[in-house]
Amino acid sequence: MLRYTVSRLLQAVLVILVMSLLLFMLIGLMPGDPVENMLEGNPSLTPDTMAQMRALYGLDQPVYVRYGHWLYSALHGDLGYSSVYFRPVLEVLGPAIVQTAKLLVATEIISIPLAMLLGALAARRPGGWTDSLISLFAFASISLPGFWTSLILIIVFSVKLGWLPASGTPLMGDASLSEQIVHMILPVTVLTFFHVGPLVRYVRASMIETLNSDFVRTARAKGLSESAVIIRHALRNALIPMVTVLALGFGSLFSGALVVETIFGMLGMGKIIYDAVSNIDFNLALVGLLLATIVTLLSSLLADLAYAWLDPRIVLK
Amino acid sequence: MQHAEQLVAGARTVASATSPSPLLDVRDLTVTFPGAAGPVQIVRGLNYSIARGETLGIVGESGCGKTMTSLALLGLVSGGGKVDGTIDFNGSNLVSFSQRQWQQLRGRDIAMIFQEPMTAMNPVMPVGRQIGEVLIKHQKLSRRQAEKRAVELLASVGIPSPARRAQDYPHQLSGGMRQRAMIAMALACRPRLLIADEPTTALDVTIQAQILDLMLTLQDEAKMSIQFISHNLAVVSEVAHSIMVMYAGKAVEYAPSDDLFANPLHPYTQGLIATLPDPDKQVKRLYVIPGRVTSGITVGCRFASRCPRADEGCRRTEPEFVEVAPGHHVACHKVGS
Repeated sequence: MLRYTVSRLLQAVLVILVMSLLLFMLIGLMPGDPVENMLEGNPSLTPDTMAQMRALYGLDQPVYVRYGHWLYSALHGDLGYSSVYFRPVLEVLGPAIVQTAKLLVATEIISIPLAMLLGALAARRPGGWTDSLISLFAFASISLPGFWTSLILIIVFSVKLGWLPASGTPLMGDASLSEQIVHMILPVTVLTFFHVGPLVRYVRASMIETLNSDFVRTARAKGLSESAVIIRHALRNALIPMVTVLALGFGSLFSGALVVETIFGMLGMGKIIYDAVSNIDFNLALVGLLLATIVTLLSSLLADLAYAWLDPRIVLK
Repeated sequence: MQHAEQLVAGARTVASATSPSPLLDVRDLTVTFPGAAGPVQIVRGLNYSIARGETLGIVGESGCGKTMTSLALLGLVSGGGKVDGTIDFNGSNLVSFSQRQWQQLRGRDIAMIFQEPMTAMNPVMPVGRQIGEVLIKHQKLSRRQAEKRAVELLASVGIPSPARRAQDYPHQLSGGMRQRAMIAMALACRPRLLIADEPTTALDVTIQAQILDLMLTLQDEAKMSIQFISHNLAVVSEVAHSIMVMYAGKAVEYAPSDDLFANPLHPYTQGLIATLPDPDKQVKRLYVIPGRVTSGITVGCRFASRCPRADEGCRRTEPEFVEVAPGHHVACHKVGS
């Protein structure tokens, strides 16, 4: 197990290196360059000074030389400077990672048990009224756009009832924990609602299949109650195929909570990456996207470890 | 019919000291499923009984309703199936049982061994815990006591180093071991009736014999009744006191084992016996019953389309299930006429 984990981590390092080169080149392909962006609208600028600036930043050199420089400094802990925020990239990303982590962990902690509960309930009697209600909920979750749900919730809970703040982050820097939690309620609700629908469908399908399997019949033939059959026998088996779905979902949520972050004014990873890309903030976009890659790689490693933990038939080598 | 005589010699005879009221008495058992073209009766009007300590063999081709009959005894008919008739078990009618009563009964009074021990056990739970579970449920043992008892049970079904095996997952055991573990699980609470649904079909022939021996030994120790289901008449002949032959959801012949082999009356039973290969005889081809089970026949004898003796009358009216000799029932127009 340890050997497997170490070798997977080494592989991940390789993937990250390749991804960094690819991202480096892709971002370099974008129209416009940082110098143009920085000095845009400055009437006293001549093409000569532009060229000077480019030479100063090394932008006139070929891409592999630039990548080499970037990699060298990155490995020495210097990830560069954000041209939008005028601060080191890590200083910009640090709070964003914390923000996103809070949002994601809260969302997953709520949506995974919720999806298991709803999926299992729906699977108990496929086609019954509980199943129909839960399916309706799942389809609403899949079909309703996040921005719409967000706005509706803001209108109801912030504007009309005035119970919850419409923003996702407290205005004061050092807000108390309870205040932070209150601000998280709406964004987490929207994200959970958005995230839970597909999960419910997966759990339901997996549960229906598991509940029809022979060993569930054996469990029933032992005289176990239906809840013991579901919780002790069916659920764990039904969860095995769910692991991949969960891992992929985590990776996509990490950088994909853009809409929620935008509407609730939260500076999370999704928003940072989006802003960095649209403003050609080269360094920030590169590191932000690389972080998303790392999270996806780590969550797929975790998924494989979880497989081995859930299913004794799987031996990691 | 020399081969049949050998089978008769091997068949178990009904113990003379059977108690007056049977342990299980099934009357007019019918299992109906909703179908696209109206309800379909998978099992139709079965009548049979099993005395204490006795083994009933149920024989028939795949899809004849053998397994459904067993699931009905455990209240495990799923998929919208409906059970009618009466199942008198030890004085109470199981058909009217509530879910709660079923859960009390299953695993404690009636237990079942399934055909494929690989899929019939939870792949992600150690074998010992799967056995212990039934003890925790019915004998109110603590988890620790149950694990300990599970090891003893594994030892009693002949599993070497049972303490280590109890920690193993089903995939770590061989097929024979798994079936032994299944038996240990089924017998954990000393049930009065054991339903064995093709318990040896998935096993090698040498292992088959071991498992059958084990079941018979344990049966004698516990004075347990067995409903033994198989498509293999030869296997059933080794364990059953009486045999019920099923065809397309109905019983076509029901008799004490020796009687059935000595004097098979229904053409289907005769066909089944003829399909058994006789090791003493050199044959070019093994005998097969022509045709296959035809579903959807609602008029006349269901076996008529494959029966060498069928005539117009067979195709028109369904034969009654009648007692032609003491304990020997058959449903055929051609018997006794």
